[in-house]
Amino acid sequence: MALPDMLPPAQPAQQHSLLHHDGTRRTVFCTDAEVAFPDGHLIVSRVDTAGLITHANDAFVEMSGYLREQLLGAPHHILRHPDMPRAAFADLWATVGAGRKWHGYVKNLRGDGACYWVYATVVPNVRQGVVAGYTSVRRKPSRAKVAEYTALYAQMRAAEPGAAA
Amino acid sequence: MTLNLLIAPDFAPERFGGWHMLNALLQQRSGLRLHLLMPASAHEQAELLAAGQVDLVYANPFDAAELIRQRGFSAFARPVGKADEMLIAAQAGSALRRVEDLRPGCRVAMADHRDVKLIGLRLLEAADLHEPDLQWQLCDSHQAAARRLIKGEADVAFFLAETFHALSRLTRSQLQVVIESALHDITHVMLAHARVAEQVPTLCATLTGVDSSHSSDREVLEALGMPGGFEAMQAEDAEFMVDLMDTLLD
Repeated sequence: MALPDMLPPAQPAQQHSLLHHDGTRRTVFCTDAEVAFPDGHLIVSRVDTAGLITHANDAFVEMSGYLREQLLGAPHHILRHPDMPRAAFADLWATVGAGRKWHGYVKNLRGDGACYWVYATVVPNVRQGVVAGYTSVRRKPSRAKVAEYTALYAQMRAAEPGAAA
Repeated sequence: MTLNLLIAPDFAPERFGGWHMLNALLQQRSGLRLHLLMPASAHEQAELLAAGQVDLVYANPFDAAELIRQRGFSAFARPVGKADEMLIAAQAGSALRRVEDLRPGCRVAMADHRDVKLIGLRLLEAADLHEPDLQWQLCDSHQAAARRLIKGEADVAFFLAETFHALSRLTRSQLQVVIESALHDITHVMLAHARVAEQVPTLCATLTGVDSSHSSDREVLEALGMPGGFEAMQAEDAEFMVDLMDTLLD
């Protein structure tokens, strides 16, 4: 499913063209703003086996910068930030596809171009022995982890094929 | 046939009478015979469940996960508007105002309450604090944890949020909230074992029919601290909660 391109935000922003695993491309804009994870909350969403969002709790909707109607039915990569290395998502899908739980630090892109960091856990929803979808729960990461993964992901991005030298 | 109904031992002491009132009301209206089991601790609860005589359980979310996935129980009802939240408090006036103010070696007082501990540990991840980083002080009750905090014998205490808010005004005035969870999707659930599936529709209809718009019912629900009563819960709703709990285990 091809997502519509993001609209340029009012603030200065960098433009990127993201190529998704399903072969679709999307133009996104990133500002320098980071939105703090809401204390005490969990961000919860579910996707079907095709990766399309079927459930979004209020914290997910609020942090995404999109309307609930825009999120439901959209692929979860609507939140993909260009700073995230491809290998992180490849590892996620390989892990949950094998029926296991995945943990990882993720930088998400909001609909307004700002970002937010999460510590994400994804579990397969097994019903009568069959994977019916996936639940993702995001918790607040420490600032030390955000700094560590910012550096690590920058290295991983730089090593990706086609990255600027 | 008498059905054994076990109530998880994490309710506030003042709710004890409410469970007996609800039990009497359910028996009167459903025609079912119910025997209330009210273990005093998680250990006693585990012994009762292991004996295999428990037919119905009002379970906390973490126990519900195991009972549903591994022990043949199914969820059929849950309280309305009563999510299980936890709260971390410090002594009033303490420099500990947010999770990030806590440091390794911090002394944590708490009652024996696995849900509270697990959710609390998830909240402390934002400060890079994990279970071995903390000095745990197990208390007999949430009230005892509050006393320890007030005396300065602990730096923070973990509470079931509902229990903290039910502490006396004087006690709460001597404490300050560091963080309170807002998970929303996690609740206690009423479970039935597969061997009593035939009785569940009657029991569920009776339980969800307890309605605070009737004065006698309102008295029972207020005694339970559940003014919204109970709502029916579908199997998929319970599975969703169990998946969510699974993400919080590590």
